[in-house]
Amino acid sequence: MLTLFVSDVHLHPSRPQTARRFGEFLAEAQGAAALYILGDLFDAWAGDDDLPDPFNAGVCSALKALVDDGTQVFFLPGNRDFLVREAFAAATGARFLPDESVVDVAGVATLLLHGDTLCTDDRAYADFRAQVRSPQWQRDFLARPLAERKAEIAVLRARSEAGKRVKPAELMDVNPAAVAQAYARHGVARIIHGHTHRMARHAEAGGERWVLPDWDDAHGVALACDAAGCRWFEFPAP
Amino acid sequence: MIKLHTNHGVIALELDAAKAPKTVANFEQYVKDGFYDGTIFHRVIGGFMIQGGGFEPGMKQKSTQAPVENEANNGLKNEVGTIAMARTSDPHSATAQFFINVADNDFLNYPGQDGWGYCVFGRVVEGMDVVNKIKGVKTSRAGFHQDVPVEDVVIERAEVC
Repeated sequence: MLTLFVSDVHLHPSRPQTARRFGEFLAEAQGAAALYILGDLFDAWAGDDDLPDPFNAGVCSALKALVDDGTQVFFLPGNRDFLVREAFAAATGARFLPDESVVDVAGVATLLLHGDTLCTDDRAYADFRAQVRSPQWQRDFLARPLAERKAEIAVLRARSEAGKRVKPAELMDVNPAAVAQAYARHGVARIIHGHTHRMARHAEAGGERWVLPDWDDAHGVALACDAAGCRWFEFPAP
Repeated sequence: MIKLHTNHGVIALELDAAKAPKTVANFEQYVKDGFYDGTIFHRVIGGFMIQGGGFEPGMKQKSTQAPVENEANNGLKNEVGTIAMARTSDPHSATAQFFINVADNDFLNYPGQDGWGYCVFGRVVEGMDVVNKIKGVKTSRAGFHQDVPVEDVVIERAEVC
């Protein structure tokens, strides 16, 4: 009973090798009991009306093939793809998870989250998140024409990249108190998240915390867990 | 020189022991041990590279020796016809699997996307036609990308000449 976890694949048509790697990974994932996608599968998601886009359609049909093969796929939204909705779920067979989900992973209660809410030192981001996650903002945004939304997202992506270059590194990592609170609030001894792109296994007072890495054109790393515990899952490649 | 006798013909490789001493010694040891005999090119991507040296037919993975230090910062580039080591996201994780570039893959050169890149340690001196035959074999598709040859591309024997 293998359970797989990925996050921050950041699929985008401008990075075809990453998409290829993800496709290969999905083929390798066949036979796993479940695959949990913990946010930012897509580098941007303008709305489910962008599903017919050939790139998006390709990703969705690959996920659907895995689901049809008997692997359950769960989708927890990230800070890039939180506008994914029911049409995406229908196209892929994936099931949505709330922002913070406690799941039994081979007998261990495990908190799953994207990870952005643990980065509490970045106040500007927290404000931005509160704005774009509000139902009012999302309703207004999704009411605009698709082309306009995509243009706005392109601007936001560029601004985010520029911001990452000037923000202090510690601002973009998790806040230790927020992590301690997460263990306590959910009564778990294991946390799995992404977002910070800082692949690691942390042994902490509260338990063990696995941070999933982001994917690039050469490599994609998943976490594989079963009754024996968790380990990194990847294959040699360029 | 190294000769890879494949079921598509012979690929002759000249290794650069001056630029990548540890990687060359590592590769030659696998050749001498007969490790590559009967392994396949399991990942064939026509516009990119052909990767092999780690699996037997049926995608049975072979167990390897300790990994070798990454020597990608040696000035050699991932250009058409060069051979380089495959690895995981750990920069120093190359063992037996290698790939032959069939395109100029600049993004794999030191420092790459992770500060290390992929270590080139030699080039094809004869049998580029064989490499080109292999890059054109039919591959199966599952999902939206899958690059496993439908019919096994086998390294029947590898030898140091």
